[in-house]
Amino acid sequence: MTAAATPTAVATLLPTTTVGSFPKPPSLLEARRKVARKQMDGAELQALERRATEEWIRRQEELDIDILVDGEMYRGDMVAFFADQMDGFEIAGLVRSYGNRYYPKPVVVRPVGRRGPLTVDWFRFAQGLTPRPVKGMLTGPYTIAEWSFNEYYPSRRELVMELARAIHDEAIDLERAGARYIQIDEPAIHTRPDEDFELAVEAMDVVTRGLNAYTVTHVCYGDVPKIYPAMLRLAVNQIDLALKNDEFALLETFRSPRFTKDIGLGVLDAHSHRAESPDEIVDGIRRTLDVIPAAQIYVSPDCGLKTRTIDETVAKLGAMVEGTRRVRRELGA
Amino acid sequence: MNTTVVGSYPKIPDPPAPGRWRTSVEKLQRGEITREDLHRVEDEVTAEVLREQADAGVDLLTDGQIRWEDAFTYFARGLDGFTINGLQRYFDTNVYYRQPVATAEVAWRGPITVADYQFAATHSARPVKAVVTGPFTLAVLSKDEFYGTLDQFVMALAAALNKELRALAAAGATVIQVDEPGLLARRDQFPLFRRAAEALWDGVIATRAMYTYFGHLDGLYPAILDLPVSVIGVDFVAAPKNWDVLRRAKFTKVLGAGVLDARNTRLESADEVAAACRRAAEIVPAEMLQIGPSAGLEFLPRRVARRKLEALVSGVRAARGGAS
Repeated sequence: MTAAATPTAVATLLPTTTVGSFPKPPSLLEARRKVARKQMDGAELQALERRATEEWIRRQEELDIDILVDGEMYRGDMVAFFADQMDGFEIAGLVRSYGNRYYPKPVVVRPVGRRGPLTVDWFRFAQGLTPRPVKGMLTGPYTIAEWSFNEYYPSRRELVMELARAIHDEAIDLERAGARYIQIDEPAIHTRPDEDFELAVEAMDVVTRGLNAYTVTHVCYGDVPKIYPAMLRLAVNQIDLALKNDEFALLETFRSPRFTKDIGLGVLDAHSHRAESPDEIVDGIRRTLDVIPAAQIYVSPDCGLKTRTIDETVAKLGAMVEGTRRVRRELGA
Repeated sequence: MNTTVVGSYPKIPDPPAPGRWRTSVEKLQRGEITREDLHRVEDEVTAEVLREQADAGVDLLTDGQIRWEDAFTYFARGLDGFTINGLQRYFDTNVYYRQPVATAEVAWRGPITVADYQFAATHSARPVKAVVTGPFTLAVLSKDEFYGTLDQFVMALAAALNKELRALAAAGATVIQVDEPGLLARRDQFPLFRRAAEALWDGVIATRAMYTYFGHLDGLYPAILDLPVSVIGVDFVAAPKNWDVLRRAKFTKVLGAGVLDARNTRLESADEVAAACRRAAEIVPAEMLQIGPSAGLEFLPRRVARRKLEALVSGVRAARGGAS
């Protein structure tokens, strides 16, 4: 896919968006616990998930964010959500990620594949609530493979490519359902840069092949300079990155060679409680403008915000939108 | 030929068994219990994982690093000169650590792991080795805002951790293992690594082990045999290439052979383990082999870690039987 084929659905300069997840309201967290203990049925849970989704759509509209997300009220872990619904996976057990946070790590035990659409109903529901574009949100094949145990496929390549075909089918279904923006999260893409970054590139080619939607991939943590400029070969329109948590140090990497894709510029630290000030946002965008032209910049948080509170999230996003507005005014947009 | 582990062990049992450690951390965060209460739970869990390793039949154990939030924070907090930054991903895993930042002269202010070692040694039916994160790996995964060169930073850490190793030896640790997976990420820095190892082990009276994992030793072998240690840990799972690399020169140390995949739930059969043991016995004589997993087992669910250890022990027994 070339930049020339990029559909421009949002007219404004420096469009604002988010990475995907938002915090779940306490009532929903409690309901999820009850369902896990079989004290509540799925229908009741889904009603709460729908209500929470609608609340996040309204909040994003009130904040005046340009490209919305559904907030993933119905997802737990970003890999397990897909693994749970697909053929070939079981859950191996709980594995610690940090502190006392554990995630249900999937294990591939049979050929993997999609039984049917995974995210389309929720996309339709969220898009039906707002005239603003809602992004379709997928976890990428490399990350699903990397963050699962593999007991079935002889090599990582076979697993990744099979998953790429499944995620491609899902992306096509999202586009048919009206998604103009599709994000394929690949936070694990730079896990083994020497060994198989090419595999990640090939997999993304398969995922986005033939799509007309504007495509985004989100990469976070890890050694981004190590996959630069190779990552510019990923078949997406935009690469969304965490700039704020290292105070925009990555910009030095992007000076040369030039950042040729659009960038999803992470301007909010997703893992700090403190709300950034609009001035900090202005400063971050200005520094970026020195390296990447305004027309290539989308403004977003560093990562999904699900580990923040609702108040923290709203405060951070409010500063992001206000800071972005100020820069737009400076640029005469 | 005996069996050992590399270090970490899953802190919580598989559901529905209650994850006491996990719920205790939550309670501490809510202010419902004190730090001492949490330490008591950590003691109980440590005793439990020591028992589990011994029951599986492993010869040389570790305390499972139940008290470590990660391999870096635990030491950075115990040393002078560090502050702790945000989360970073730990090598090639979906596991995170908080990145230490050196903001002042790094110094040893007192024992970090000595009480842990003593607790483990007195609560274990089998020998326990002490484990310390190496100065090189600690430096590579930290941020240096004080020294300015990797050389100075690593050497300062080596001097500080030398005191930790001496304190462990004085407390009765007869086997001390230093983990240096970071070497494989910065293999060009081997001359520095070697100087740091000299400083690190200076005057340490114990069996000295240096473990690498997550990669191959190509480019480092056989130079690595000059390090002042008697055991070298090698990961043959993440890097099958190591089978060939180690044939390039006579291996003159005890080989800590990581042959069991610590990163995948697929269970090895005893036959597979035995075959790997026989292969390792072509590199060094059987009495110079310590067979274990490729890395710490914490990245696996507890039940799988336990079964892997059982497969390890059965495999090594089968290989021993075949050898005799």
